[in-house]
Amino acid sequence: MQPKLEKKKNTSNNWLKILIPVLAIGGLSVFAVLGAFVAFIITAWWGQPIPVMGFEQTFEQPIHFPHTVHASVKELDHVSTDGTPMTGLGMDCTFCHRTVTTQPNAGVPSVGLCTTCHKVIGSKDSTELTKLRESGGLLDAASSPINWKRVHRLPDHVRFVHESHITYLMQNPNKIKNSSSGVTEGAAGVCSTCHGDVASMEQVKQVEALKMGQCVDCHRDNGAPTDCVVCHH
Amino acid sequence: MTTNKTGKQNWGMVVDVDKCTGCQACVLACQSENNVPINTQERFERGRAISWIRVERYWEGNYPDVKARFIPIMCQHCENAPCEPVCPVYATYHNSEGLNVQVYNRCVGTRYCANGCPFTVRFFNYWEPVWPESFRNHLNPDVTVRSRGIMEKCSFCVQRIRRGVRTAKKENRDLIDGEIQTACSQACPTSALVFGDLNDNNSAVSKMKHDERTYKLLPHLNLDQNVVYLAKVDPEKKIESHSVESGSHD
Repeated sequence: MQPKLEKKKNTSNNWLKILIPVLAIGGLSVFAVLGAFVAFIITAWWGQPIPVMGFEQTFEQPIHFPHTVHASVKELDHVSTDGTPMTGLGMDCTFCHRTVTTQPNAGVPSVGLCTTCHKVIGSKDSTELTKLRESGGLLDAASSPINWKRVHRLPDHVRFVHESHITYLMQNPNKIKNSSSGVTEGAAGVCSTCHGDVASMEQVKQVEALKMGQCVDCHRDNGAPTDCVVCHH
Repeated sequence: MTTNKTGKQNWGMVVDVDKCTGCQACVLACQSENNVPINTQERFERGRAISWIRVERYWEGNYPDVKARFIPIMCQHCENAPCEPVCPVYATYHNSEGLNVQVYNRCVGTRYCANGCPFTVRFFNYWEPVWPESFRNHLNPDVTVRSRGIMEKCSFCVQRIRRGVRTAKKENRDLIDGEIQTACSQACPTSALVFGDLNDNNSAVSKMKHDERTYKLLPHLNLDQNVVYLAKVDPEKKIESHSVESGSHD
């Protein structure tokens, strides 16, 4: 009877020796996963979420459109095809985002507006411009619009009106934040308050968190209405 | 005729029941303006159809002398609203412009407000709203599409009020009476529904409000609604009531 009991004791000890470290590592990893999840939720709640699993604030657009070349007034990093250094064109934001001063939405330009210049301007070998020219725009009935990825997205229950914000900031230039390194005059000079210095971004990314607290803070500071129904309807 | 400065309004509506023909144009206009989901037969049968404004029909008199009567009913925007104090999350409240406001993103769907409403003009979204593919671009971009599990009701077309206020501000002027119209009042072919500022003594609604035919629904509840009704004129009864009135004055 006695040896039998001892044997049983030994086996149960061996089993525990494996189980304890497995449980410890498992527990720690569960704790780590939970911690990361909580950190993600907290950062997403207060600002922008940690850029993992598709929560990045920059997207690779279907056409690599450089805002630097079009909107900046500074000398650019890359050189043109004939080797000369390039300077940004310093185009006004409203040249492409045409409805921004008159309507709630800023508007993304049609392919037709792009091809107004890019039918002629730009290298024939450029892969990005080839994509643009092949999509045809208004000149080709069979074409489809470019499926730009949206960077700044407000929730569906918020109604934001660009027009009135731009009008106010143009009248009160001391309220402009993150002032742009590109065009600073006119309507385009005020966009940076919410969108950051887009003229210096190769690919646009969201700079401000654009949470409701930010909206309400600014509305309070400027005496704008803070009634819920002004934005939520 | 200009109204008071922005933010000082008390929005209200006068419904002339005498002019209403029961054509339901207001119902349709409201549905398309405010992205109200399409009601199927099943939803009506289960009492879950959503219609921010409805035309109630009832019969007066006995056969063969029967008359059809119509009365449009929408959210009455009560000053003493029974729906407001019961909300546990302040999703519905009264704003400074006399509107009974429903904040969709605050609503948690307890449905207390709908139970409290004596006019049954609050509607719960029992299902995710679905539109046919061809309707995709017909939705109003100024109005939130309400998802499943939240309450909705007539907002007095607050998106149109905001747009009107914005335009007036841009043009640096006061609001003009009649400039802002709700979808139902705009669609009404007989102008039975008139929308405007009750605080402005010169507005169309203020003048109509002082008509002798004025009445409010369920007056014994003391709700102090912003929607006022004008009674149906009955030519046969008019002489009778006139004689009674003149008799009392004598």
